[in-house]
Formats: sequence, structure tokens, C-alpha cells
Amino acid sequence: MPGEPKRLEHPKSVYVIGFIFKIITLSVLIAVIYQITFSPHGPAVLVPIKEKIEESQKSAILDEVRQQEEYEKHRHFHHVVEYPQLPENMRPVCYICHSDYPHSKNKKVRAMLNMHTQFFVCETCHIEEQPGMSVIYKWYNPLNENPKGPFFGTSYDTESGNLVEVEDQFSKISPFYRSGDKFKSAIQIQDSDLAQDYVKVRDKLTPEQRDNVKKKFHVHIKAKGHECKVCHSRNGILDFRTLGFSANRIIDLEQLNIKGMVTKYEEFYIPNLFSE
Amino acid sequence: MEFIKILTSKTLFLAIFLLFSFMAPGVDAADKENCLMCHKYRQIGRIDEKGRKRSYFVSENIYANAVHRNVPCRDCHTYIDKLPHDPVTQEVNCANECHIKPPFSNENFSHKKIIDVYNRSVHGSKDDDSAELKAAKPYCKYCHLNPIYTRVDEQRIAFEETLSRCLNCHERKGVTQAYKHITHRLRSKTSRSPQEIVQLCAKNCHADLVLMKKLKVSRESMEAVKTYNESIHGKAIGLGSQTAADCVSCHATSSIHDIYKKDEPHATVNKANLVKTCKQCHENVTERFAQIDVHSEIGPHEKPFLYSVNVILGFVFYGSVFSLIGLAMLESYGRRKDGISMQIVRGTSWRGESKRKKSK
Repeated sequence: MPGEPKRLEHPKSVYVIGFIFKIITLSVLIAVIYQITFSPHGPAVLVPIKEKIEESQKSAILDEVRQQEEYEKHRHFHHVVEYPQLPENMRPVCYICHSDYPHSKNKKVRAMLNMHTQFFVCETCHIEEQPGMSVIYKWYNPLNENPKGPFFGTSYDTESGNLVEVEDQFSKISPFYRSGDKFKSAIQIQDSDLAQDYVKVRDKLTPEQRDNVKKKFHVHIKAKGHECKVCHSRNGILDFRTLGFSANRIIDLEQLNIKGMVTKYEEFYIPNLFSE
Repeated sequence: MEFIKILTSKTLFLAIFLLFSFMAPGVDAADKENCLMCHKYRQIGRIDEKGRKRSYFVSENIYANAVHRNVPCRDCHTYIDKLPHDPVTQEVNCANECHIKPPFSNENFSHKKIIDVYNRSVHGSKDDDSAELKAAKPYCKYCHLNPIYTRVDEQRIAFEETLSRCLNCHERKGVTQAYKHITHRLRSKTSRSPQEIVQLCAKNCHADLVLMKKLKVSRESMEAVKTYNESIHGKAIGLGSQTAADCVSCHATSSIHDIYKKDEPHATVNKANLVKTCKQCHENVTERFAQIDVHSEIGPHEKPFLYSVNVILGFVFYGSVFSLIGLAMLESYGRRKDGISMQIVRGTSWRGESKRKKSK
């Protein structure tokens, strides 16, 4: 404007100072808003609304499951260790209905049978052999087409004597059908078409229809898995050497004491050898 | 014939089995009977009859660093007398004697002494407690989770310096654990942070108002967590202080487990003991100082004066902040309406010609 004195640009430091003040003002404002709305140290004006929303989404089942998980930490006492889990869609289809603890009937061995789910997929034990189909067992990792290991449980730490901790948390021994030089996986994952379709429509199916579909998932699956000795013996179906187990681990697995205890003895008493 | 009978007996088989068990790799002092032969696998477990997930996994590496690392399994799990054992239905009794002899003592170690202290405290189960109250009272494992030794970083412990002197004569592996064991108890306060202590007392218990109501606790107890969080101690802990008072600082002596109702003469929060309790942290504590209400509920009926001051201060605080924001917004609105816009360059914030001035 005519007559208006010439205005000068602010020095750059002014913009920096202004920016810092704006950040401080904004932080104070956010803190005040939090204080007034949700903070337990303020009037918490929005807390009743938050509680109302949470109440509407509340599930008694979910609450109980979480509470039980909390209690399990205390009951267990020896530290419940969390391990990485596979994404839901990469798990075998069995996991749509079954968990990592599928066995519950036989009181004597159910926990031991469940222990094996760390090492192999359900089909390894429950696959029904078919005439003309050759099955071989390899390490399978849904996140890695060609897992190289080292795999958990295959060797001992020479210093501590414990099983060696490994990076690969997901590889399990799994059956494959041999077709010429190629191997085709004998298992389905939840990403398979049949599994995806089932998950989509299962709530719409009648109980009979659901049973029918479940039969499809259990084709070539036998209810009773292999006996211990089918794997835990010198000529078992699992070739521990090819699977990468160390020599002393192979000896332990092939001559496993547990197998004898479970199959030969009804009761196995610990005498008072150590009582003082 | 008798000899053959002995040979085929289960006892001999067991002896051979145990002999091989000892020779097997990974068997340490605590696992004399090779329980880890089965329990070292992380998926050992089941879903029980009530639908609860039960993990029976014991991590070898974690257990070897936990405070019970030298306690043989069957010293706690005394009810296991055969293999494979039956489903466990009994709880571990922490008052059992285990086959560990502490240094300078010929007696087997037991938690009995501290359990006796605990049983006498308000948390101990009493004969006249209702069934609900008995079920709600915490048991050993509710608070104690077989902690892993952690290095004590308090300055006065001088961890590295002292440990390096121990290493002049002792092997690193053994003495490091032993040193951690000793220093574990030499902290100024408990090995847990004050935040963990508050969380432990509040979560699933004192902050669970439904449970508290069911147990018919006093009004003060009902509001204990809320009033603590509003107190200066609670606010300091909430902001991360490691020195401010947590629940245990005031409600128990150094034996931690001796928490009593304030009417009991030996309660640390009994009127007669308050000066001593406050003196743990505060200097120059007088009777008058000890009268300050720590769990203060500032309501219109309980403390009308304090309540009024609190409300007025709230209005002053919020009023000043929001008045300033309101004024700034009003000014912006007025200027914009007047045709002046905000610019942050060339020496001024507001540029333009005022419509009002123009019309004049």
C-alpha cells in the first residue's frame, strides 16, 4: 500500500521458534483434552460413553477365555512362553476345528500325543495310506517353500545338553505324495479353495450339511493315529537321518523310554531312591 | 529263580532307566528324575474337561535361570509317585520342605516361615471367612511367578565390580547365579517395580469393584485403588517414579506379607504406627504429618471445603486454557470477517485491508 513502511522478512530463527511454540501449544492442548475426556486424573467426561461402547461389544466367552489365560500363567508357575504363531490362513485345515491340543480321550497319553503337534502336522500320524501312492516325509513350512533348517528337536546343545533353540519356529514334518521326481503336499492349508469356501458358508449350513462337508476334509484321514513304534523304532516310517536329526538324537528317538512305559507297563512306580 | 524274579522286576528296570536318564544330555541338578524328558516339549498339554488350556511345558533354559532352578521337581510335586503319572489334581504346597540346604543351615529349606506370616495377615485364609472370601484371597502363586533372576542395577550393589572379584576364585556360571540370588534380595525395595506392585494389587482384585462388593469390603477398601491413583503417590507412580510409595511400601514391613487391617495394632497403617511408616521415606515426620489422608476421597459430603477448592481450581485451569483458545478463535473469526487474512510471511501475521476502515 502506498505510504505503508516496507515490511521485512522475518529471520529464519523466528520460524523455528514459532514452530517450537506451536508444537508445545498443541501438546498442551492434546494433554488438556485427554485430561478432560479419558484420563483417570481428570473429570473423565467421555469415559461413560467409552464404557457403553465396550459394554455393547462385550462377550462373556471372550472375557472368560482371557481370564483363564491369565489364571493359567499363575497356575503354570514355570513360565508360559509365547511362541510366534502362523497366520490363520496358512495353518492346515485341521485348525478350523481342532487346536494345537487335539487329543483328550486317553488320559494316560493325551498330553504326550499333543506334544507331537510341535513336530509334525496331523496328517503325518493320521494319514491313511492309499494303494499305489508312495508317501514320503519331509520338513514343511507354509512360509518357506524349501526349508533348510536347522529344525527344532533335531539336535542337542553340546554345552547345556538341552535341545538346540532354532530360528525356524514353523517347520514340521509333513507327508508328501511322490509323483515321479516331484512331491505333492498331502495336506491342505486354510487358504485352499475348499477351506475358504467352508469358512465362508459354515454358519449357514445345517448340522447335517456341516457333517457332510467335514467328511470331505477327513478323506484319507484315519481316526486313530500310528502306534508309537511306527516312528520310534529303527525301521520306522520317519527317516530321522534324512530329516536332519543328529546321531545321538536319533538314538534317543528310536529307543525312546516313554514308548516302552506307555506300551508295556500299566504303572511305573518311582521308588524312594532319593528320599533322605 | 528268585534272582530271575528280581531281574525282571520293575524296580530293576526303573534303576536302569534312571541310570540312563542321568547320563542323558540336558539333565541338571533340579531334574534328577528326568521329568524334562517329557516336559521339555512346548506343545505338551491338553484342553481339560472344563475347556481350559493346560500347558505342561517347562522351558529348560528359562527354568535354569529361575529362582527355583535347584529345586528337584518332586520336592514341590510330592504327589507324583509313578510314571507316566496320573492327571494332577493336587496343588503344590509351598510350605513343603525341599531337599535344598541353604548355606549356614542344616535344615532343609521351606517357605513355611513366610507362609505363617502371610496366614496371620489379612490375606491369609481364616476359619470364619466366607467361602467366597476364601476363594478370592490370593494364594502364593497368585503373586509369585517363579521369577527369573535379574541383575540388580542399584548403584550401591556395584554388580560388575563385586562379581569380578568373585570370579577371581569362582567359576562364572555358578557364581553369577549365586551373586544374582544374593543381590536379588538386596534391593532397596522389592524386586518388582512400584508400577508392577500397584498393578498386582489392583488387577483382578482390589480394582475389581464387583468382586469387592461381593466380599462386602469397607467403603475405604472399595475406593482404595481410585483414591491411591488420585493421590500424590499414585500420580508419581503413574508417571514412572521408582521411589514413590506403592501399596507395599506403606501396608507392609520388610517382610512384605504382613498386611493387616488398619484397626489391628501391628498394622503398619495403624494410627500408632503411621509416623514410623511415613518415616521410611519422609524426613521430620510429625504426628500432624501422619494425619494426612493418603487415600483421600474428595467428595461433596466427605470433604466439602476441599471439594469446593478442587472444583474451583478445575474451573480456573480449564477456564484459562479454553478462554484463551476461545479468544484466539474469536479474534480470527472477526478479522477474517473484516477481510483480513492470516499470513506468516513478510513481517506480520494478519495482512489485508479492513472493510471497516474502508467504509469509514
